[in-house]
Amino acid sequence: MTPSGRKGGDTAPVLTYRNVRKLFGQFVALNDVSMQVNRGEVVCLIGPSGSGKSTLLRCTNALTRIDGGEVRFDGEPLPPDEQRMRKIRQRMGMVFQNFELFPHKTVLANVTSGPLTVLRMRPEDARRRAEALLDKVGLADKAAAYPANLSGGQQQRVAIARALAMEPEVMLFDEPTSALDPETIGEVLNVMKKLAEEGMTMIVVTHEMTFARRVAHWVVVFERGGIIEQGPPAQIFDAPQVDRTRDFLGHLGWSG
Amino acid sequence: MNLDWNVVWQHRGALAEGAEVTVLLTLLTMAIAIPGGVLLALMRLSKSRLLSGASAAFVELFRNLPLILVVYWAYYVMPVLSGLEFSAFTTGLIALSLNVSAYNSETFRAGIASIRQGQTEAALSLGMSQFQAMRQIVFPQAASRILPVLASTWVSLFKDTSLVSVIAVGDLAYNAMQVRAQTYRVLEMLTAMAAIYWVMGYPQAKLVDWLHRKYGISE
Repeated sequence: MTPSGRKGGDTAPVLTYRNVRKLFGQFVALNDVSMQVNRGEVVCLIGPSGSGKSTLLRCTNALTRIDGGEVRFDGEPLPPDEQRMRKIRQRMGMVFQNFELFPHKTVLANVTSGPLTVLRMRPEDARRRAEALLDKVGLADKAAAYPANLSGGQQQRVAIARALAMEPEVMLFDEPTSALDPETIGEVLNVMKKLAEEGMTMIVVTHEMTFARRVAHWVVVFERGGIIEQGPPAQIFDAPQVDRTRDFLGHLGWSG
Repeated sequence: MNLDWNVVWQHRGALAEGAEVTVLLTLLTMAIAIPGGVLLALMRLSKSRLLSGASAAFVELFRNLPLILVVYWAYYVMPVLSGLEFSAFTTGLIALSLNVSAYNSETFRAGIASIRQGQTEAALSLGMSQFQAMRQIVFPQAASRILPVLASTWVSLFKDTSLVSVIAVGDLAYNAMQVRAQTYRVLEMLTAMAAIYWVMGYPQAKLVDWLHRKYGISE
């Protein structure tokens, strides 16, 4: 497939990674990783545990700093100083494997925390925005609850609403369903699917191959800190060009 | 054996004054050692090697010395080294504050460290500054873990203030011992002293138990 055929390929990419390298001591977590994410695209990062997918995601909003190469957001390299990086982070939402809701705050206060603290929004405006988002993720009735009283799936949906409250241009999902009971995975994936249909640019680190196959526009396969193959889902899942992609999918029981 | 409990009543003034000094010492020590502990903990957690090293050295020194030694040291050595003369009360207060600040620092540090890194990352990913993440997300959660430990330290401190009696600070222990020495009523005075410490300490210990139940296991 030609680059122009890729979704969002007619405009400048939102994110560009060029020869990204990350070391943890002696361990090479990312080695020479280059890829891009276009506007409105859903990019799924798949691959075995410890292959560098989550690290690349964390390098995107500089929770982890890269040791070499370059990450560009909206054409500009990520700023090295925290002060300016904060401004960039406000434009990227992140959803964590373990939700990381703030346990001492109500659901509503979790969702308004970004707009109130960071955007200095008026409380009634922040509340209105939060209520609309909770409604969107199907949890309008849980606004006054505390995270501890919600199921995992509900907590993760709140976490998505909390990230969306900053009206980000990109959403980063770090294994959003890996810590969930099987029966609540669907409700989280449905919210993500809805978000994708609205045209949100998303990077999703996931082991949910069905989701990647159906929702992603582009799939990147990681192994040992490097990309072994990337392409549209039809290529990755139905006609992988690399044997190791086939092996990886085979281990997961994927048969196309 | 003839016991004369009247001696306790006769010297009620000295005992009451001593009890007052004991409470005052506890209050003032904590009033110094809480901000002191916060400062040491923040130094310890800072990225500066110098600050964190200085804090670690301070904490490890005073946490591992017997408190009575620190009291003697503050009384006999500190004036020589610093050239400053303090009253016995102030000297005792300094010694207690050094010790308790070191303990509080560890309490605060452990409380802050017990909050998962992911909480800070979630706050940062929303665009909060490190300071905002600390103030709004980490500290409020750490506080409920710190409070019960701090309360236990308080109760220990209340009893440990008796050690400053060795440098003639007129606290409850010192005054009671003075009466004992003057009247030779050893059994009566030691018993009275024990009773007063217990009556004052017991409600505090109960309060600590209550704090542990309320905040001990949450999340």
